[in-house]
Amino acid sequence: MTVLIAVLVVGAGSLLFRVVPLLGARHLPDPLTNAAGLAGLAVIAALSVRAVLHHEDAGIVAAPLVAAISIGVGLVLAFRGRSVATAVAAGLATYVVLAAALPSPA
Amino acid sequence: MSAAFPNAVAAAPAPTAQADRRHRMRAGFRAMTPVLAAFAPFALVVGTAVASSSDPWSAWVGTWLVYGGAAQVAVLDVVAHGGGWVSAAIVGLLINVRLAAYAAAMAPAWRAEPARHRIAAAVMLTDAPWALARDRSRDDPAYFLGAALALFLAWPAMVTAGAFVGSRVDAGPVADLLLPLTLGAVVAPQLRRRPAAAAIAAALVTAVVTSDMDAGTALLLAAAAGTAAGLAAERAR
Repeated sequence: MTVLIAVLVVGAGSLLFRVVPLLGARHLPDPLTNAAGLAGLAVIAALSVRAVLHHEDAGIVAAPLVAAISIGVGLVLAFRGRSVATAVAAGLATYVVLAAALPSPA
Repeated sequence: MSAAFPNAVAAAPAPTAQADRRHRMRAGFRAMTPVLAAFAPFALVVGTAVASSSDPWSAWVGTWLVYGGAAQVAVLDVVAHGGGWVSAAIVGLLINVRLAAYAAAMAPAWRAEPARHRIAAAVMLTDAPWALARDRSRDDPAYFLGAALALFLAWPAMVTAGAFVGSRVDAGPVADLLLPLTLGAVVAPQLRRRPAAAAIAAALVTAVVTSDMDAGTALLLAAAAGTAAGLAAERAR
């Protein structure tokens, strides 16, 4: 029952978060929507950084650093106009190569 | 609409406008399709959390209701560790409050859309379609709906599959990087705009400083720092 109530409350709240700004779209001032866009980008950047910082790989030393380098390679390619698929493939390939090259933790 | 989206011809006959809209919707759907692969490892994690919940059916229903894997896992985790529904709800809502920012950012492009389209967009709104539509089509509603529909159809199926096989499949550490890499690659081109670059840089620093905090609070702080830095960069131009 606890799970059901929690899911219902979070579901209803999440729907309100999504619906209210869109249904009230005509009344939202442009400066607010602009700030919201920046906030959205910031959140996505933060989500990615947290995933890197919390990355765990028992098979290699300094796993978060290897993850950061790999993601950095992908992001540079995406920034230079390569497709998302290319950037992701390059990032993953970098991780695999680095993981193979680095020594395992003692 | 037509000023914001050069491909849309406002004065064109209705059938042409409809065809153009369908074309843009299909473009969004196609753009999201390869991105779906990045969600598979995370769906395994969410599916495993659903299967191991004390109330798997309610946890599974949360896939649609919560429609955010991080919030869903966090809610199930709090309950599994003996937290009550109030604690679980607060954690889940803190993580999903970012959706209000996404929705508010979409508002200018959606003002002319009928209410039923806006409700559909709201129901299917989450990180990847928002980032994809913002980068590729300046929030074009039809493009967003196509992208969001692809994920809305695939995500529950992937989580359901994860509930059955998640505990038996180990995708490996490299799979954990798929989602951040994909989301990062989607937003990376926006670094060319100075306010966006400032917002992302500030969020990056904030995320490092707050890495030990819970996700909801850390994301709120990153959003606040990013917004402040982005607005400051806009004013400095």
